Amino acid sequence: MDIFAGLATVLGDPILLAWVFLAALVGMIVGAIPGLTASAAIAMLLPLTFYMEPLPALAFLYVIGKSGRYGGSIAAILFNTPGTAASAATQLDGYPLARQGKASKAMKVATISSVIGDVTGELLLIMGVAWIAAIALRLGPPELFAIYFAAFIVIGSVIGKSVTRGLASAALGILAAMIGLDPISSTERFTFGSFDLTNGISLVPLMIGIFVLGEVFKQIEERGTRAEIMPTDDTDAARNGLTWIEYKPCLPHVVRSSFIGSFIGMLPGLGSAIAAFVAYGEGKRRAKNPHDWGKGALEGIAAPEAANNAVSGPSMAPLLTLGIPGSTIGAILIGVFLIHGIQIGPTMFLTSRELVFALFACGLIGIVMYGVIGYYGAAYVGRFITRIPTQVLYPIIFLTSFVAAYTSRGNLFDVYVMVAAGFAGWAMHKLQFNPAAFVISFVLAGGAEEAFRQALLLSDTGLMIFVTRPIALAFILIGIAAMVARVRSVNKQARAVALRDA
Amino acid sequence: MSTKVAPVSRAVGVALILVGIGAIVASLSIGLDQFGRWGARYFPLGGSIALFLLGIAEFWGAKPSQPMDRHHLPAIGVLLVLSVVYVWSISVIGYLVSTALAAPLALYLFGVRNPIGLIVAAVLCPAVYHGIFFVALGVFPPLGQWFDLLDVIGGY
Repeated sequence: MDIFAGLATVLGDPILLAWVFLAALVGMIVGAIPGLTASAAIAMLLPLTFYMEPLPALAFLYVIGKSGRYGGSIAAILFNTPGTAASAATQLDGYPLARQGKASKAMKVATISSVIGDVTGELLLIMGVAWIAAIALRLGPPELFAIYFAAFIVIGSVIGKSVTRGLASAALGILAAMIGLDPISSTERFTFGSFDLTNGISLVPLMIGIFVLGEVFKQIEERGTRAEIMPTDDTDAARNGLTWIEYKPCLPHVVRSSFIGSFIGMLPGLGSAIAAFVAYGEGKRRAKNPHDWGKGALEGIAAPEAANNAVSGPSMAPLLTLGIPGSTIGAILIGVFLIHGIQIGPTMFLTSRELVFALFACGLIGIVMYGVIGYYGAAYVGRFITRIPTQVLYPIIFLTSFVAAYTSRGNLFDVYVMVAAGFAGWAMHKLQFNPAAFVISFVLAGGAEEAFRQALLLSDTGLMIFVTRPIALAFILIGIAAMVARVRSVNKQARAVALRDA
Repeated sequence: MSTKVAPVSRAVGVALILVGIGAIVASLSIGLDQFGRWGARYFPLGGSIALFLLGIAEFWGAKPSQPMDRHHLPAIGVLLVLSVVYVWSISVIGYLVSTALAAPLALYLFGVRNPIGLIVAAVLCPAVYHGIFFVALGVFPPLGQWFDLLDVIGGY
């Protein structure tokens, strides 16, 4: 069992354990700061990891992603402001509990449920990823392109409020990735005579711009607002202690939601927010006390938190087996793999098997660490965050984004790219485009183009190769079906809104 | 995840159509390979056409949109100008001096008014960032074309 070897490697390396611990703490704090996401923290810290060994670098960012997903629940419960989009579901019952003086109890339920969900997702990843990789090795370029095509459509249409704007974000991401020299013929594309553009747009400054500087632009609109913390009285054991009797009704919801989150996590682009709300809806539908949900039910925290964190592990499956990032964090991790010369995809399980399983082991240890820190210290983290003055925090993040973008290649042109991406990220958010779809499509475009052109070279019938190969056709139909279903759902919502307003 | 449906406006549709047309023209100007094949054009053209069609769909499905909150646009504009000028100033007067100027300006923009705090930021920010990135990590700093404080203090 490779995972035991991985665990032995990690547990025997105190420096690696220290990185994992630091990541668990940093992720929790970043996730709990309203407006700041784990993606932003990872993008900002990415250039620092270029100077680290591959395993500590990957483990540090991977665990920040996990812990950041959990950290969002702290802000949702204590500040009535979701730290991440996914924790908005936790807020529905978390904040009412905090108002009843049970904030610590709510955070303990969130912590235990997050840990169970995350461990479930991680174990499913560990057990299933090698099988998926073995299947992926048998796929040819037509099938791979069809998977990329389905990913573009799903990522563009399913995330966000507008299908057309989501798909347009994906198309813009593809076009941005085309800037530079064609990798096969070295023909210039979209360079407009600029020498700097012949090298293409680098992934790191683009992500720092979209996720970090874009957030600073957003936060300048929030100047002067301050999150108010609900008081947490840990001395009142009756209200803030958590007993087995209290948690027992949450368990069925946690188990179900863990599997919901794991399944949704495997699908590229859907992410934690969708998993959390699906789990909340499903939990409420099956609950014995549905009328209590939304008013401070512990199960209403347990279900979305388990699903939210269960996404984390399985979302790595398409990344590690096909090179298709299932989330923005996955897209950023691609940059780390590439910088360290590790080729992601199915062959990774042949060439870097030990590294992959050591990374999974770091994930498991990171879950335990953020679980322990969160169970005993979430309230302190909440209080610490209220002491961070945002009028100082965001200017520091602003300055850090510039030096981080420069550090990636030692090139000031990259910093201009980061500024442009930051403003574009803010504008996309403002106009309800989808920055996540833009970035993931930017990352996918190179691989998709390579698979597409290889498929055409293999084909005697041109584009018909994608229709005559059954697996390729199936993925193309899945993509189209997902888009049609989403359009119908959005239209249904629009009609419901129109009827309500009438 | 809100159930609120996105507002649709004709302006977004028109913008997507115009960008799509521009991208189609630029895609068609991409050179063919030595055998006269379209290899390098396929994906840029596919993305451009998709953008154009999505622009038409957005325009066609346009409904009255909610007015955008323009209250913060001046602050956004100032931050954007500060960002661009900051990068440009790094290229001409080096990292240390430009960061010493940009740090208090960014803090001021976010509402910090304490003069001592702003002065401390002007000194501390360049020193800390220089120490972490250009000394500890060993990244070669961006040197100013006109003037660079590192030439004076010899802090490479």
